[in-house]
Amino acid sequence: MDFDYTPSELMAVAGARGIKDREVVAVGLGLPVVASFLAKQTHAPNMTMLFELGVIDPEPVHAGVGLADPRVWYRAKVLSSFVDILGSILHKGRVDVGFLGGLETDQYGNLNTTLVGDPRGKFRHMVGSGGANDIASSAKRNILIMRHDARKLKKTISFVTSPGYVTGGDSRAKAGLSGGPSRVITDKAIFGFHPETKQMMLMSIHPGNTIEDVVGTMGFAPVVPQHVPYTEPPEKEQLRIIREVIDPRKMYMG
Amino acid sequence: MTKVTTLAEAVASIPSGAHVALSGFAITRCTMAFAREVIRQGIKGLTLSQCVGAMDSDMLVGGGAVKRLICGGGSLDRFGRLNCVNRGIEDGSLQAEEYSSLSVTFRYLAGSLGLPFIPIRSLQGSDLIRQIEERTGSDVANITDPFTGESWLVLKPLLPDVSVLVVHTADAEGNAWIMGPRWDNVEQAKASKRTIIIAERVVSTEMIRRYAERTVIPGLLVSHVVELPFSAHPTSVYREYDYDAKEIEKYVEATSTPESFKVYLDEYVYGVKDHWGYLEKIGGMQHLNALRADPILGY
Repeated sequence: MDFDYTPSELMAVAGARGIKDREVVAVGLGLPVVASFLAKQTHAPNMTMLFELGVIDPEPVHAGVGLADPRVWYRAKVLSSFVDILGSILHKGRVDVGFLGGLETDQYGNLNTTLVGDPRGKFRHMVGSGGANDIASSAKRNILIMRHDARKLKKTISFVTSPGYVTGGDSRAKAGLSGGPSRVITDKAIFGFHPETKQMMLMSIHPGNTIEDVVGTMGFAPVVPQHVPYTEPPEKEQLRIIREVIDPRKMYMG
Repeated sequence: MTKVTTLAEAVASIPSGAHVALSGFAITRCTMAFAREVIRQGIKGLTLSQCVGAMDSDMLVGGGAVKRLICGGGSLDRFGRLNCVNRGIEDGSLQAEEYSSLSVTFRYLAGSLGLPFIPIRSLQGSDLIRQIEERTGSDVANITDPFTGESWLVLKPLLPDVSVLVVHTADAEGNAWIMGPRWDNVEQAKASKRTIIIAERVVSTEMIRRYAERTVIPGLLVSHVVELPFSAHPTSVYREYDYDAKEIEKYVEATSTPESFKVYLDEYVYGVKDHWGYLEKIGGMQHLNALRADPILGY
């Protein structure tokens, strides 16, 4: 089967669809930035977009190398501080959606961005939390974006940087946290979480994949309901906006 | 009272072993000239703190000036990871206490307000808190909210000996303006015993008075003011100059091994007399002029 879109583009579109108009969204690096800009430019024009370091609702015209790049602050409505964004907005409870990526996640949506290997033995240190742990802890819900790979969707992750449902069931609430991940978007499928056990649960598979293929390339067995639909493919206009407006130089989607 | 001095004098006021908070965030407004001078002066055993580990911390760690780093993770954005910091964490030579951005900010905020501790929702249910408890033993605790009976994680304030901030504009007293996002910088300065201001330009107090609403750091917090253009190079200063992608790439390549970083330090830090020598070394005015920010775009 031939598709006129890439898996990354479908992930960005699926991410954008997870945002409702008028919601307040805290954005991490990479694909989440594309998903949020896409939502804002399509069905969610009144959403508010936050970058942790103190940026609200920028309208970049050049792709940046990360949140520290003034390119992604361009035309912001507010340029302030961590206390302002992660404190008075996120910690206060005003963020509806957190968008997070990571090195690896487990069946409860716990995220590792800190290290690969054995934290008590030989390991390679990566980037750590930044605002990810804060967003995972205090947003009303979180959308995780990950490559679909058994090395990234693992039974046990090396380090829990940002908590999902911790060890499942009510363990997140017992840790003092409400909210939690609502969706995990990969390049093969979209997952939710079982309402009671909080295990990852297959919601839809992207066109061109099979359930066997999706489940067989994971390090744990997700809950698979009887009927699993295909993910709705991107619309032409969404693809145009990604390619021509948001990421013409393919810095995010390369 | 004028506090204007040279970078060398300001750096010399910091004793080995001090706790220094730095203004950098990844690859923007990093205290790079400061870091190079600290390494030249041979200051050792520093504790560094910042919300998000940045190029200034990485250079100081690679230059052998740092014993302990308190931060919320960090990177050089798409240019790469913090190679020197990561190597120090991996081989155990750097005592790293890793938090999240907000938890470091809250620790500064508690310090800035003179509070004994601050409750936070972050860190709970993660390995970060487990690791912090193991490594520090005493910087985090749990308490019961006396009003509701709920359990809360609380953090100890961070009280740096000195914060070092790269800012856009200051007067001789240290009243300082930061344009664009300020991340944790204001709380850092207010939590610290004193602040060293490294300003792109020093202006008259009359100028500060005319636009006083821009002043985010009051001069009373400041011990030294250094006027030093392009002090954050190769990182950016919003509305002043862009990051120097080629020089950051060179740095990332150089930090890939301790040996290649030694060569880099010999050339860019020990091989030049001061910041002016460094600016000549990387291409002088002609090169720097090409990095100047567009006044509308800000980069």
